[in-house]
Amino acid sequence: MPEIGALVRAAVEAADGDEQVEAYAEEGRQTEVSALRNEIEGMTFAESRGLGVRVIRDGQLGYAWAADPSEDEARETVWRARENAALSESDEHNGLPAAESFEAMPEIFREQSATVAADDKVRMALELEAYSVSRDPRVSKVDLAQVGDAVSRVAIASTTGVDVEYARTDAWAVVVTLAVDGDETQTGFSYAITRGLDALTWEPVADEAVERAVKMLGAVKPPTAKLPVVLDPFAASSFLGVLAGALNAEAVLKGRSLFADMVGRAVGSDAFTLVDDGRRLDGPGACPFDGEGVPSGRTELFTDGTLNGFLHDSYTARRAGDGQRSTGNAKRGGYRSTPGVGTSNFFVDPGELSYDQLLTKAEGGVLIMDVSGVHSGANPISGEFSVGATGLRFQGGATGEPLREMTIASTLPQMLAGIAGVGSDLRFFSSVGTPSILIGEMTLAGV
Amino acid sequence: MLDRELVTEVLAAARRKGGDFAEVFVEERSSTSIRLDDGRVEELTTGLDRGAGVRVAQRTSYGYAYSNKLDRDALLEAAAAASAALRGDAPGTVVDLTDRFGPGTNRAGRAADTVAASDKVGWLREVDEVARGHSPEVTQVTGIYFDSLQRRLIAASDGRWIDEERPRIRLVAQVVAKRGDVIQTGWDGPAACAGVEFLDAHPPRVTAERAATRAVTMLESIPAPAGEMAVVVANGCGGVLFHEAVGHPLEADAVDKEASVYRALVGERCASELIDGVDDATIPNGWGSYDFDDEGEPAQRTELFRDGVLQGFLQDRLRAAKIGVQPTGNGRRESYASPPIVRMTNTNILPGKEDPDQILRSTAHGIYVRGLGGGHVNPATGDFVFGVSEGYLIEDGHVTTPVRGANLIGRAIEVMSSVDVVGSDFETWEGVCGKDGQSAPVGSGSPTLRIAKITVGGTGA
Repeated sequence: MPEIGALVRAAVEAADGDEQVEAYAEEGRQTEVSALRNEIEGMTFAESRGLGVRVIRDGQLGYAWAADPSEDEARETVWRARENAALSESDEHNGLPAAESFEAMPEIFREQSATVAADDKVRMALELEAYSVSRDPRVSKVDLAQVGDAVSRVAIASTTGVDVEYARTDAWAVVVTLAVDGDETQTGFSYAITRGLDALTWEPVADEAVERAVKMLGAVKPPTAKLPVVLDPFAASSFLGVLAGALNAEAVLKGRSLFADMVGRAVGSDAFTLVDDGRRLDGPGACPFDGEGVPSGRTELFTDGTLNGFLHDSYTARRAGDGQRSTGNAKRGGYRSTPGVGTSNFFVDPGELSYDQLLTKAEGGVLIMDVSGVHSGANPISGEFSVGATGLRFQGGATGEPLREMTIASTLPQMLAGIAGVGSDLRFFSSVGTPSILIGEMTLAGV
Repeated sequence: MLDRELVTEVLAAARRKGGDFAEVFVEERSSTSIRLDDGRVEELTTGLDRGAGVRVAQRTSYGYAYSNKLDRDALLEAAAAASAALRGDAPGTVVDLTDRFGPGTNRAGRAADTVAASDKVGWLREVDEVARGHSPEVTQVTGIYFDSLQRRLIAASDGRWIDEERPRIRLVAQVVAKRGDVIQTGWDGPAACAGVEFLDAHPPRVTAERAATRAVTMLESIPAPAGEMAVVVANGCGGVLFHEAVGHPLEADAVDKEASVYRALVGERCASELIDGVDDATIPNGWGSYDFDDEGEPAQRTELFRDGVLQGFLQDRLRAAKIGVQPTGNGRRESYASPPIVRMTNTNILPGKEDPDQILRSTAHGIYVRGLGGGHVNPATGDFVFGVSEGYLIEDGHVTTPVRGANLIGRAIEVMSSVDVVGSDFETWEGVCGKDGQSAPVGSGSPTLRIAKITVGGTGA
């Protein structure tokens, strides 16, 4: 079995004439253990490897991929990508990026965590579940209590001189609790992600999932009203995916982003600064280079409310012209797909206000703890959204009455312009992160 | 794909510590996807995937391990890993592996791999031309063609040996239309478990025309009103709602975890008496159809509601064994890389008696929903929300101005009980459902129906 570095180099050596060839390979091992009623509910071990090849000839792009190929099959993958290129149409902006030097990020591979024994993971999942159902008499069961970790390696080589590799470790804990009171059931979700299971403190995850479920017991549907709203990091992070879609240069260049003509304009309030930073080590999306080997960097998309620009890969940078460079945001869903513009660590820059100070500024308003339906209810092209929400009323310095079956409908620019304060409590959820955010006024539709 | 001797050896290794059963799932999948965007065929991708997963189950606990290597060493290693979590120490047996044959639900008339890639590219060019020709306000068109052939082998320690092929095909058109500052989108994407003959019945130009019409129509839209009102859901759309709000809480894993709002309601009326609902994996060439599920259980048609009375749940092997009922053939997995979980297949509300036009005429005021953008449900509470991608005002029994930014929010039992008319028309809709990180092709279908009262979220007055 060839090393992935050897595999990508073998593929690149199969280049023909002056065509461009890029080979991307990844391999990984992943374990997930979930516990239910003091037993192992499920334990999954995964081991995977694969190769994806881009061939560009005369501006025509073809892609082919294969699971666990030999070196011979890697060369066959190049042939198939070449055949596919012949059928696509030429685009002068197609091309591979030139090799650039980058600084390695050894911190994202944690040796100790790559060697945590399976028995320890089983024990951790069982403890996580047992602890979760011991914190509150109304929470005696979980929907999910799971720990998982992964070790992965990526190698990219190309005819333009790219020859790079990196390794990473990730670990996570997820809890969904069920709080029951009479006929009513509420759920509470929490999640933590870090570099290794040996570095993961899971008790706060369970505590938070319990608290979030219990606080929602007794929820009522409120009357429709315009109120100040605080989005906690769970709720606020749901909107970041939509923002990322609209700040993707490909969407902009193809007329699919509402922000296309807004560069240089004060779209958001001056409290709003939005960053993508692939080198930020405390974010789960940290990586030394992107899906086509371009070094990761820091891009400030909004500064004090003003839109600066967009996220680029090498294709969109070339097509945008004007000296635009790739921002190192070519991302891949895996070896099965071509790279496209995506986020690394994409986050709202935290402000000065503590969570409590932020709530005080929202006196008489609502703390939104969860929004649902964002993937279907928000349109990154028009910027309109309409989502379901749950949360707590906030009055007299404390959170109170829980609310359900509310909807929030607005547009992204309106919401960004309405930001009246940003908390200091930045928290990452997968590759997006945000602190709590105060919006001066929003319509909450209920009865 | 693998010989029986090797599979038997792997199953025996997986049962080294006993367990209720062991199972091997082997898959080979070839796929082609072509993307046209911005007036150009941007990308043509072909993939070859293969791998195997080994599962050992004991009651509702399981160990699962997979690899994309299919040699003896890799498979035995997976068997050892899958059985590691088991606490028993007495090895289990493996019954002689014997073929089981299905009815051939998903035969392809013309296999996709017999058609030249240039023909497939031609279908996408047609999508682009037709959509752009629809209106000068159409500013962007994306066309996606996809086909795959999945061959899978399922073998288990009880002797089942099933080798089944599933051909899939889909053609999607996504259209952007612009007028001044207003940008709207339209979408259509018919899909089936079939060969390319499917596109004879669902020609690319019709798909393109539908998507373009939706986008351009929505340019006229006004912000949707907010509040409680009557909503008429067009045929096809109600199935999406039924799948999401009702189907997920009827999946036996949610029931087993006491995380389903329906868990104690079998035999009770918990929907309008006009509602008959089924999950049916036996529909020939249905997007969610098959001969056997991914645990090797025969596909079936499962009655969920009769006259609004809940009939039962959707089961996989583990949950069915625990409560002592027959599996319903709803154990599905995204690929060899995932253990099977309880999933829907094609989930339908059956047609009723009313003329759909009469349903609209008899509605004084409300919203007519012709497109749902997908939704989300919390199975434990029944709370759901749906984005409306194509909606209109109903005024004095007439469908009038299109509305944008609407969503439907409610609780499953209340909303299904509030259905007061069911039409005689029936239409299907094909989607991709996400659950526990796995995606699965699912069909849904319904006649036109009216919800007497539901909360609509919108920005208008």
